[in-house]
Amino acid sequence: MNRPLLETMDLSKHFGGLKALHKVSISIYPGEILGLLGPNGAGKTVCFNLISGTYRPTGGTIRFEGARTDGLSPQRIAAGGIGRTFQIVKPFGSLSVLENVLVARGISRYGSFLRMWRGWKAPSEREKAMRVLERVGLTDLANRKARLLPLGNLRRLEIARALIVGKKLLLLDESFSGLRHEEIDNLESLIRNIRESGVTILLIEHNMRVAMGLCDRIVILDHGQIIAEGDPASIQENEKVIEAYLGRKGTEHAS
Amino acid sequence: MSSYLITVATLIAIYAIVVCGLNVIVGFAGQISLGHAAFFGIGAYASAILTTKAALSFWTALPLVILVSAFIGLLLGLPSLRVRDDFLAITTIGINFIVEAVFLYIPFFGGALGIGGIPRVFLFGTRMRGTGFFVLCMVFLALVILVSWWFTRCWGGLACFALREDEEAAASMGISPMRFKLLAFVLGTAMAGLGGALYAHYMRFISATDFSFPLSISFLGMIVLGGMGTLWGPVLGAVLLGVLPELFRPLVDYRILFYTLILLLMIRFQPGGLLGEGSVARRVFSLRLLGGKS
Repeated sequence: MNRPLLETMDLSKHFGGLKALHKVSISIYPGEILGLLGPNGAGKTVCFNLISGTYRPTGGTIRFEGARTDGLSPQRIAAGGIGRTFQIVKPFGSLSVLENVLVARGISRYGSFLRMWRGWKAPSEREKAMRVLERVGLTDLANRKARLLPLGNLRRLEIARALIVGKKLLLLDESFSGLRHEEIDNLESLIRNIRESGVTILLIEHNMRVAMGLCDRIVILDHGQIIAEGDPASIQENEKVIEAYLGRKGTEHAS
Repeated sequence: MSSYLITVATLIAIYAIVVCGLNVIVGFAGQISLGHAAFFGIGAYASAILTTKAALSFWTALPLVILVSAFIGLLLGLPSLRVRDDFLAITTIGINFIVEAVFLYIPFFGGALGIGGIPRVFLFGTRMRGTGFFVLCMVFLALVILVSWWFTRCWGGLACFALREDEEAAASMGISPMRFKLLAFVLGTAMAGLGGALYAHYMRFISATDFSFPLSISFLGMIVLGGMGTLWGPVLGAVLLGVLPELFRPLVDYRILFYTLILLLMIRFQPGGLLGEGSVARRVFSLRLLGGKS
């Protein structure tokens, strides 16, 4: 197999005595869709926050294209080509949908004290941003204030922003949650389309059906540790996974 | 124009310059500051000292004054901007009191006596006073508005808007929160410094109490009234809160009560300020001029 695009090695995050993530090693290979699944509180979002730099790991390493990224700030990691969405959407509410996308387009300017003084209202910028909106199907709402959008559109907007930043790797945190059926179908084809354009995707998902259909490989987390890993079919058969989700067979469980 | 009107107008123009600076910090970058009068004071004292003790002219001192204000803004912003929201508000109040105390208790700054004998401004050999000085202030105000306008259109400004809306999301788009908060803070304090210099040379006598905490509150009030984060809001706010006390001089004892009433009414009926998003003024304006679409 070729070299992983992103590789975590014994990655741990402890909050005091709580081991939110403990010695997790995941490899994501170029061009694949890797699903990160697990029950609530399994450490999925913590894992995302470590990869994107929001948290610093307690132990272990993260390598992106072979270089260490653990301990780097979120803005540095974003500049390296990793885009992310948020489980609880974080739109720039009082900016328009188009401006939200433009913020992401500025990523190559924010690091330079010279380039940050150039104007962002140029028609060429607008055009490029519109093209991204077209891809996620939000062109009609380009001038609407982001805070007025319903959840489904906000999730698309977040993907549009993350898509610009994440030229190499896209982290999608429960992008399907709270969506209606037809929205789910649309988003599924959008994600496939993104992958075909050469972007590697790591996604957190609760909806088993969606994850099974979309992912090439799945990693299951429970209590901060990997309990299973493999292609969707083998995951479905895995005893430990069924146990983590549904409880132990043959024993009485109050929960 | 009578000299009384000129005086009121000049002070309003100076306040508008300072409040435009505060608007960059609070309105554009979303970082609350309740100590803006401190930087107004730093500009005033820097210019007063450079022109009296170092005997520089106003024009030679001005670039230095702006640099000094920006630099002190950078030094004080670096630790303060590490905290957010209420904590930042309290920290900036602290800055205001400390700066005022430094002016008041360190003999170099004239102590309780303040600094007097600040020279007038000369331009092309003419002494600037009355209308002349007012026009000068208006030119500087226009400059400050131009800089603010440019800031809203450059990538650095857009980064600040994003930070104001959501810091974590902004960081995930390559925006360093600290860098851009500092950028806004330094730009804002530099504008306050410019206003301070004009104030010092207009009053020709300054003392620490000119730059105390209540003035910071008034500055913030002007922004809230006019429209936070808008280009012209700070100017409108400065004009209204500058003119009202003059119109209602007999009510001077109730001024604070009156301010409070205005602020409460604004929060209830026009939370975005008079020129802010969804305000009556903006709706009427956009209907008239843009054919109903903003």
